[in-house]
Amino acid sequence: MNIFSKAQDAPKSQAELIYELQARKERHFRANVGLSWFILLFILVFTFSGQEITIGSTTFSGIKVDTEFIRNNLTFIAGGLGETIRISIMSIVLAMILALLAALGRLSTFPPIYALSTFYVSLIRGTPLYLQIFFFFLALPQLGIILPGIIAGVLALGLNYGAYMSEIFRAGLSSVGKGQREAAIALGMTPTQTMRRVILPQALRFAIPPVGNEFIAMTKDSALVSATGFVHELMWRSTKVGRAQFHNLEALIMAAMFYWGLTLILTYIQSVIEKRLAKGDR
Amino acid sequence: MVPIVKISNLDKYFGRLHVLKNISLEVPPRQVVCLIGRSGSGKSTLLRCINFLEEPSRGSIEVDGIHVSGGEKGKEHRRLIHEVRLKTGMVFQEFNLFPHMTVLENVIEGPVIVKGMDKAKAIEIAKMNLDRVDMLWKKDEYPMRLSGGQKQRVAIARALTMEPKVMLFDEPTSALDPELIGEVLNVMKKVAQEGMTMIVVTHEMGFAREVADRVLVMGEGELIEDAKPSDLFTNPKDPRTKALIDRYRSEEQ
Repeated sequence: MNIFSKAQDAPKSQAELIYELQARKERHFRANVGLSWFILLFILVFTFSGQEITIGSTTFSGIKVDTEFIRNNLTFIAGGLGETIRISIMSIVLAMILALLAALGRLSTFPPIYALSTFYVSLIRGTPLYLQIFFFFLALPQLGIILPGIIAGVLALGLNYGAYMSEIFRAGLSSVGKGQREAAIALGMTPTQTMRRVILPQALRFAIPPVGNEFIAMTKDSALVSATGFVHELMWRSTKVGRAQFHNLEALIMAAMFYWGLTLILTYIQSVIEKRLAKGDR
Repeated sequence: MVPIVKISNLDKYFGRLHVLKNISLEVPPRQVVCLIGRSGSGKSTLLRCINFLEEPSRGSIEVDGIHVSGGEKGKEHRRLIHEVRLKTGMVFQEFNLFPHMTVLENVIEGPVIVKGMDKAKAIEIAKMNLDRVDMLWKKDEYPMRLSGGQKQRVAIARALTMEPKVMLFDEPTSALDPELIGEVLNVMKKVAQEGMTMIVVTHEMGFAREVADRVLVMGEGELIEDAKPSDLFTNPKDPRTKALIDRYRSEEQ
């Protein structure tokens, strides 16, 4: 007496059949996308492999890269990965603090605070990140302010991303309905308690996925800091050995692979976090 | 008897719109008052003026001896409003539970954060009130996992745990699916029977007739009728009240 086997023997309903068809289509599509990715990756690897391949009457030959150069400099360039991650983490922390302050400033009814917040965002968003980085490295020393490379880099990246990310926090704050504020003050909470206990926790949760995107973008923008020559991260290391031995092609390919790999890992981590958040409340 | 809530010559403007016109009202302890009227008649605004979710333009509010005049500013005014809010509990149409907190956390939030109550003591009172609304079994759930009726019962427990002198209900069943209205009304009825002073803005005529000690009818920003439910439902004086009751009777059939 097994009711489950009985159910399996029963003819499938139309809804089940439609569902199965859709699921099969979906699997089919994914398999094809995966295969295409694999082919594209193969072409990319082949392009820089120096190998030859003959298809029909045509022979394709890959670009020859200096594998010995790659082997000799792999550890040196990989050594910049830690610095890239370090500068990105420090910068995103600074950026989040500034972005939150700027977003709260936009809510202020006190004109100087509101003005300060909009002024900061406008100034930073109105000038290139590249210029801001050079400002900290090259312009400040003229005034006698000489910052250690990493501090200057973090200040520039943090200030820049803070201005852009203030919009994320603003959206987060406005995503919390006015009923939440009313419920809090009806309980007798002060405006500060309402913000800290009710509004901010919900706004920050809302902001986590977009902040993750910004962090991933920042790991790549941190390469700009290499231009100043004082922060020995991935990009700086690859251009250093590439230029010195005239093997820029290999050096840049190596750096690109490190950035790409890092992005893939971070994107994966972010998707895990997002799934966990989606499972929670709301 | 000294009234728990006393509203004197209250006026409220939204810009140029005169939404409450010279309203005066006294509610004695333990009375259950239902505020009815067409939408836009000002009944919700009047309720929200009592705990200053809306600042009255003129006139005054007195809750359990705390007298606050409308339209004033400054630190003392804010302190008095805070006192009034501690003496009033509010239940909203949209529940407004805090989605990032569990049921129990929602209910102890007020006592712990606002009153500075010891957490263990707050939990004890919270559990008692959750039991009163029959939601203790869901104390560790997040609001997202509750039905509308369950959310509203938790919201009632949250307001009760602040141990208010008067409960304000702002259309507590209007956002609910019809089959969930009953459980919320039953809880409200129980709270009323336990002696709580209640002011209820509602469209639920059945509840008004059965539970209220007194029904106030609002129209165009004025109190147009103030009567016992038995009188109101059998012998409405104002034609607008009569229209409301006729519509209720036709819906009942």
